[in-house]
Amino acid sequence: MAETTLQGYDPEVLARIAALKIHASRLVEGILSGQHKSPHKGSSVEFAEYKDYTPGDDIRHIDWKVVAKTDKYHVKQFEQSTNLKCHILLDASGSMAYRSPLKKSTAMAKDEYAKTLVAALSYLLLRQYDAAGLITFNDRLVDHIPPRSKPSHLQPILYSLSRTEFTGETQIRRTVEELIEILPRRGMVVVVSDLLTRDDNVLKTLNLVSSKGLEVILFHILHPDEVEFPFEGDIVFESLEDDPPVGLDPHDIRKQYQKLIQELIEHYWQHCPSMGIDYQFMQTDAPLDQALRYFLLRRRSLLKK
Amino acid sequence: MTLNFINPVYLWGFLGLSLPLLIHLLTRRQQTRIRFSAVHLLEQAQKRSVRRSQPNKLLLLLLRCLALACLCLALANPLFSFADQNALLPSQPTSTVLILDDSYSMRAGGGESSLFQQARETLAALVTSAPSNQHFSLVLAADPPRALSGWNDDREQLAKTLRASQASFQTTGIGQAFETAVDLLADAPSTQKRILLLTDLDENGWRADEFPSMEGQGASVRILDFSGQQASPNQAAVESVQVSQEFLTHSRMIRVRYRVKNLQAGRALNGLTASLWIDGKQQAQETLALGPGASLEKEFTFPHLGKDRLNGYVKLAADGLLEDNRRFFTYQPDQRLRILLVDGDPRGVSHQNEIFYIERAMNPFSRSVSDIEPVVSTPAELPNRDLSRFSALVLCNVRTLPFGYEEQIERFVSQGGALLVTLGDQVDVKAYNEKLGGLLPVTLRTLNQVNETETPFRLKAATEGHPALSVFSGKMLAEMEHVRIHSFFSVEAKPDRSFLVPMQLTNEAPLLVESDFGKGKVLLYTTSIDRDWNNFPIQPMFLPWVQRWVKYMSQSLDTITRRDLNVLEAIELGEIDGDWWVESPDGQVSRIAPQEDGVPVFSESRIPGVYALFTTPAQAGSEDNKANPAGLKLPPNAHPAGGFTVNVDTRESIPDKIGEAAVHDILRGAPVEISRQTETLQTVKTDGGFSMVMPFLLAMAVMMCAEGWLVRKE
Repeated sequence: MAETTLQGYDPEVLARIAALKIHASRLVEGILSGQHKSPHKGSSVEFAEYKDYTPGDDIRHIDWKVVAKTDKYHVKQFEQSTNLKCHILLDASGSMAYRSPLKKSTAMAKDEYAKTLVAALSYLLLRQYDAAGLITFNDRLVDHIPPRSKPSHLQPILYSLSRTEFTGETQIRRTVEELIEILPRRGMVVVVSDLLTRDDNVLKTLNLVSSKGLEVILFHILHPDEVEFPFEGDIVFESLEDDPPVGLDPHDIRKQYQKLIQELIEHYWQHCPSMGIDYQFMQTDAPLDQALRYFLLRRRSLLKK
Repeated sequence: MTLNFINPVYLWGFLGLSLPLLIHLLTRRQQTRIRFSAVHLLEQAQKRSVRRSQPNKLLLLLLRCLALACLCLALANPLFSFADQNALLPSQPTSTVLILDDSYSMRAGGGESSLFQQARETLAALVTSAPSNQHFSLVLAADPPRALSGWNDDREQLAKTLRASQASFQTTGIGQAFETAVDLLADAPSTQKRILLLTDLDENGWRADEFPSMEGQGASVRILDFSGQQASPNQAAVESVQVSQEFLTHSRMIRVRYRVKNLQAGRALNGLTASLWIDGKQQAQETLALGPGASLEKEFTFPHLGKDRLNGYVKLAADGLLEDNRRFFTYQPDQRLRILLVDGDPRGVSHQNEIFYIERAMNPFSRSVSDIEPVVSTPAELPNRDLSRFSALVLCNVRTLPFGYEEQIERFVSQGGALLVTLGDQVDVKAYNEKLGGLLPVTLRTLNQVNETETPFRLKAATEGHPALSVFSGKMLAEMEHVRIHSFFSVEAKPDRSFLVPMQLTNEAPLLVESDFGKGKVLLYTTSIDRDWNNFPIQPMFLPWVQRWVKYMSQSLDTITRRDLNVLEAIELGEIDGDWWVESPDGQVSRIAPQEDGVPVFSESRIPGVYALFTTPAQAGSEDNKANPAGLKLPPNAHPAGGFTVNVDTRESIPDKIGEAAVHDILRGAPVEISRQTETLQTVKTDGGFSMVMPFLLAMAVMMCAEGWLVRKE
């Protein structure tokens, strides 16, 4: 509860959380509108928490004992029995903090895009009474919020997202090795990363997770600048991670670079299915609902299993 | 190896190299720094990429700078030479007398690749590039030598003087040039003294007696031998040309006799073409064959009826030295032979005069192609006669000559005149042998006489193929046997003189003695020319006999015309009441004013060719001409007065080179270093080195093409 108190005193964090929440809920509601209600509604009887009664709440859930004691209407809320536990692994390395220096660029920043995506996924999961947890990592585990299915669990997730600073190198392998023991036997692992790392064994690492029986969805997020490399002039490129700076004329290597990045995407695109990993490449100028729809589709197919 | 610049001022253009540098710096794109995520991919891409933008820009800059540098270098007109010219100069301050051999043998090679041009450009480059502690003075070594500059510190001026100089047509006078150099070194500004001689080491120019003693002069001598640069050897030269005319037939025949020498001692010349050119047109041509080192006399003969002067030359096929392949001549065909008859035994009755018969035989009131105009004189009048106006002088029974007159006669004959001496009872044998001893090839001895009752001497009727007598044959020859001679002088041959005896008596005593003296002929008739000692004058054949001999011996009338001079040789023009004007072959006109003491002399014949003479009455030279002697024009009233030819002295043609040992011997007392310019200069366009203008321009074009290609690639 201390965290809840803290967040209440940090207006900047609060603003970020609010923005995330609004953005995420708007996204999710937009996607879910017109869909059937969750088949899991009320299927659990385990008390979770009270909430103030608001018109529209089912009066069957009013705890009359509490009304008698406090003369206030509280509605009992029950934790749904969770069908799915989802760990969202957010890459918080320095490369995710790339911001386009080009004035004409309209694409979202990669970190913002990733945060929004994670928030939306979390909201979507929680809204459907699935358990959502968040793990941020770079070359080590930065933050770990275990999965919970109660609706208010979105708060710590959003809080964690708002505080995440993108620094350091990407070391998926080390993170997975730390997590592999605590991951459930069934469930889902969503990895959100730009996969810009010198480590060639990312897929092998994810294959470890996949081979444990977990559903792995890999959101590969890149900024359009990282794909098209549209820079001009004599430029010294300083690394957001720990690589030495490189001075060059982008014109000279544009084609080579584009080829390399396409080879990278192609690599994941080709090898992920064979390892049971769902790979989704996303550019930050693409709408986020595309990722959410894909996620929903995957979740339904998972539930049918 | 040296690189010298003709126009070094253009090297300031190197400052222009800052221009592309400035443009490069100004247009260099600002380097920006961007924080980027996939730097490791950039590294990989950069490794794979072939292109390198930054090096290209530097390469562009380099190419532009090089192109500009090449342009500057090309404009500066660089000369590249394998010869290390700086090695010609010591490092310490030195006064150097530059002796440049400008004799005509240095014209070998011709045009811009002549030895002189090479030597001249070498010197000019040396002077231009020499450090400031070097002092120079320049002497041209053609005979006579000329000091063109003293210790002149203005290098540019000296280089200009050098480049403006031309090879002369004179012979070499290295010794006299050294004399001049030694004089110059006496006033040298530096203690170190040197003489740098650029020559072809032609042996003709190295006469030991003309050299000053180099002992104690304190000067070192460096000789650059350019003879190795001569592309082809000097094969042959025309040594002399003599023109004569013959009236032996009814038309006049011009005979051009020339002598050609094969200058190559070890090689025969076959198929050498010699041609005769008259007034710019080729008149005749023949092919000669000469043995190694041999001389050959040949002649061209052609009829000529005109009265105009003949200007021409005999020309050989081209060889390594063109100047001696052509020899000029000028000839004024005679129309009237003026013969000066000196009557040594005048009488009151004309037919008793000594010259009565010969005068009438010369002028029998009949016309032929040539008229003979006898002019009678007495011995006392001789000094008042201008011999140059006569073709021949006939001394008929003259007792003795006026004092000192024999010298005038010798000069007259040596310049082409003819002398006929007939004897008689007036002749003072002793005086003749003394005064005319130089002219006559024989010495007069005793008088041979027979009485009226004795058998006279008879003429031996034989022509022996002599051209003057070749027409006498048959009846005319038989008539010669009727000649009775009562008296004649016996003669004795001088041991060192050659002569002919075209006619003799039956007792083998010479009747007529013929010899050459200079360019003229001397005839001695050992009996009298009148009837005192013989009856020949009343024989029918006496008239043609006189006519033929007079025509034969009078080869030419105009003695001045026949003068053949060497370049710069002075010519005495004779005293006239007016001015002499000389028009040289290149059209320059000189005015020779009367001299108060002595005869007018012209000595500015610097180029070979035919020089035309004109005379004007006194005070005829216009004031304009006097004010501007350099641009003289012939006055309108100038009257042609003959001409003379100037030719090169063929001693310079001899290709023999003086050896190093001989040079050291002549210049003993001074340290001498001889080096040969042995580099092949086949491709040299500008002498003294290979012109680098085109290579630099080509390099610039290549740079510009490469630059354009790179920019297009960018």
